[in-house]
Amino acid sequence: MDPIGVYIHVPYCRVACPYCDFVKKATRGDAPDAFVGALCREIAAFDGPDVAASVFFGGGTPSLLTPAGFAAIMSVLRQRFRMDNPEVSVEVNPDDVSPDRLDAWVEAGVARVNLGVQSFDDRVLKYFGRCHDAADARRACEAVASRFENWGIDLIFGGRPHDAWGETLAECLRFAPPHVSTYGLTFEEGTPFWKRRAEAIDDDIGLELYREGDAALVAYDHYEVSNFALPGFECRHNLIYWRNAEYAGFGPGAYSYLDGVRARNAPDIDGYLRAPGAKSESLRLSDREIKVETLIQHFRTRRGLPRADYVARFGATPEAEFAAPLAALAARGLIEEEGDSLRPTRTGYELNNEIGLAIV
Amino acid sequence: MGTPIERIRNFSIIAHIDHGKSTLADRLLEYTHSVDERKLKAQTLDSMDIERERGITIKSVAVRMNYKARDGHDYVLNLIDTPGHVDFAYEVSRSLAACEGALLLVDAAQGVEAQTLANAYKAIDQNLEIIPVINKIDLPSADIPGVIRQIDDILGLDGSSAVHASAKAGIGTEDVLEAVVARIPAPTGDRDKPLRCLIFDAVYNSYRGVIIYIRVVEGRVKPGAKIQLMASGTKFEVIELGVLSPETTPTSLLEAGEVGYLICNIKSLDVAKIGDTVTDVINPATEPLPGYEEVQPVVFCGMYPAVANDYTELRDALEKLQINDASFQYHADSSDALGFGYRLGFLGLLHMEIVQERLEREFNLTLVTTVPNVAYHIIMTNGADMMIENASKMPPTGEIDVIEEPYIEADIICPTEFLSAVIDLCKKKRGIHVRVDYIDSRRCMAIYQMPLAEIVLDFYDKLKSLSRGYGSLEYRIIGYRPGDLVKLDIMLNGDRVDALSCIVHRERASWVGKQLASRLQKLIPRQQFEVAIQAAIGGKIIVRETVRAMRKNVTAKCYGGDITRKRKLLEKQKEGKKRMKQVGSVEVPQEAFMALLKVNEDGD
Repeated sequence: MDPIGVYIHVPYCRVACPYCDFVKKATRGDAPDAFVGALCREIAAFDGPDVAASVFFGGGTPSLLTPAGFAAIMSVLRQRFRMDNPEVSVEVNPDDVSPDRLDAWVEAGVARVNLGVQSFDDRVLKYFGRCHDAADARRACEAVASRFENWGIDLIFGGRPHDAWGETLAECLRFAPPHVSTYGLTFEEGTPFWKRRAEAIDDDIGLELYREGDAALVAYDHYEVSNFALPGFECRHNLIYWRNAEYAGFGPGAYSYLDGVRARNAPDIDGYLRAPGAKSESLRLSDREIKVETLIQHFRTRRGLPRADYVARFGATPEAEFAAPLAALAARGLIEEEGDSLRPTRTGYELNNEIGLAIV
Repeated sequence: MGTPIERIRNFSIIAHIDHGKSTLADRLLEYTHSVDERKLKAQTLDSMDIERERGITIKSVAVRMNYKARDGHDYVLNLIDTPGHVDFAYEVSRSLAACEGALLLVDAAQGVEAQTLANAYKAIDQNLEIIPVINKIDLPSADIPGVIRQIDDILGLDGSSAVHASAKAGIGTEDVLEAVVARIPAPTGDRDKPLRCLIFDAVYNSYRGVIIYIRVVEGRVKPGAKIQLMASGTKFEVIELGVLSPETTPTSLLEAGEVGYLICNIKSLDVAKIGDTVTDVINPATEPLPGYEEVQPVVFCGMYPAVANDYTELRDALEKLQINDASFQYHADSSDALGFGYRLGFLGLLHMEIVQERLEREFNLTLVTTVPNVAYHIIMTNGADMMIENASKMPPTGEIDVIEEPYIEADIICPTEFLSAVIDLCKKKRGIHVRVDYIDSRRCMAIYQMPLAEIVLDFYDKLKSLSRGYGSLEYRIIGYRPGDLVKLDIMLNGDRVDALSCIVHRERASWVGKQLASRLQKLIPRQQFEVAIQAAIGGKIIVRETVRAMRKNVTAKCYGGDITRKRKLLEKQKEGKKRMKQVGSVEVPQEAFMALLKVNEDGD
């Protein structure tokens, strides 16, 4: 069995960003010890695979974990999982980057730092309701770049003013991060931004911004719809999602996908502290649903779907069940053959949901 | 033994919609203990869900009541309900033909309306004794003297003889029953003559087959009798007969003057036509009862399954529904745009809506319906002529000499303050002014002749909105007249969409074409490629609109829990897409096929 991915959800933020729909709670200090304790209990009690290839600390704001808390979690993970040279990633907020946290992450074996910069324009940062400014972001980039070889900058386009995007991309390139994520701003139900969804930019402008990112980051491999990397710096943990492979999620609201079951930890943070690991959703996927999700996920990546991988997994070619939609997608110029792989075209990235729509 | 003929009263209640007909019927049933009170759902007589929801009567039914009058005698009162809508005028006339009298119900606050008039005239035509009943007298806005004057002046009846009632409050119920007994004549009809029964309604029951509702006019009928339906020529044996109380209650005999039902193993409603005469096979009548007509559909539309695979299900549903409602017609049809489906003919717009709704509701079908149209009479240059129910089947312009369209005469009653708006509307709809009658100081009746096609689209909704709901409309078809009509075609990416073709008046064609194209431009979602929408008259393109290509549709983040959530979301969208029709390379939502209706709504 392939090693799984491990996701750790740290549901605390100093300021909750109004566009974010992840489980989180505003906190004044660091992530509380009670949470670290609950998380460690959940990991220790995990009943599932024993080998992991990656650990991803997401949030919320995982950079709010104290050095001691972080070390404790890593220690439990190492006890519970056999990990051979794991890719350990941490999402970091620019204003949490301090010398002692950087030391702690290096110490604990963190291999990748993902900096949530979002923008290098103060007006846009204000629009996003971020708690840092562009100067904080620049300082953080320099500090992280000086300590980590493998690090990345996360950016969001589609904020106001939207034409600040070009300069943000240029600033990002100055720090030469080996990994860049560019996400289109979404207005999710349940967030404060939902009420403002009329502000969403027109699709045609969205497309221009998306292409601007593609053009600016030409030196990178645009290896997934929203992700760019220099060769060898792709996020291995996220590739697990895009191959629809198995992962275990720990922390409130975290999802797991193990043995054909997509399950979710209850999102209630207080409840989690009392009973870590209690599930609020558990869905056994049908054979066809797994295949559909596998196709959809692979078509998010430049590499696409090697037929051999699919055959190894399902015992038949994708065409055995999906000949008609795949042919239609090829005819529409959304996917193409590359060697013995099927992969999305450039239009297939831009109209990625159309691929999914044809397959389901 | 049947009931002595002099103790029978057969009557209907006629009224404008919402004037309280069903409520009054309920009160009468309660008062005479004809229906178990536990079973008295509000408005017992409206048995279809759609009827109850819309508060209108579509199918008429009958009920028998036993009433001990103040004169000490026991009477049998047969209340024959009539459908309350202009679409079913023929059925109304047959129901009235089964009666000797009618209660003309008028709302004390609203007064006489177009439907009151039309139904009153029908009752007068049948020589019925009419008892005016002023209903809702307890409303604060009731104007009883005003309504009495209207009954005198407009209907030519004696308003002072009106019974005052409030069906809702139960006021005047006994007075109504006494008036029925005292003023409506007992039926006449020789019980020893050969059998003649009028079929005034028929319903299909899945366990018992067709149940025929009859009024025995002459003679008598018993179970086991061999009977013949004179118009259809078919013969049956009476398996069961009885009275309606209101459930079918078997008896051993029905005699002249009585109202009841027959069950004779008839499998489909198209055999038991309303208005037909039932006679005895062994001792037949020589002449059928007068007034039988084959009803002709006047409004047509295409119905197509939203999913092509459902074609057989649609066919089965239509077959089953026809057993229940013989008054709509259908035949298989196909459209380049919509695939295989059916062309249906209806008695009117409401009838069309009902059939469509029943198909969707009772048979769980998802249908694409095309804009309703009328039948055109086309006279060709070579002298041949034909009826066209479907614009896309129209012959080339060069071969057409004259196009004739059906005309109606409409009676529109409205408060005088809205008269000029009504006249404007009628003019816009190519109406020909006949005259305006003043009902009283407040209201008037405009009489216009106009093409049925103009009424079919949205006339009634428009009338309602411009008169703040006060306008009422009644119409009758008066024949075919030539019109300056042209065919308007719509093309999507160069392909003509047959289901969107329509026949319009030449003067309005260009405006309608532009409106239609711009409406479609809003309705057709962005697709991967640009969609050109063109409107053409006689092959000449008059307008072009464009649906820009969809250029970006992507989920920015897809991690962990997003994966299944996204699949479910896509599945839901796909479900929605199923309701779209693929026309060439273009996906067209169903609403687009009804776009012409919206054009008229927004148009003027």
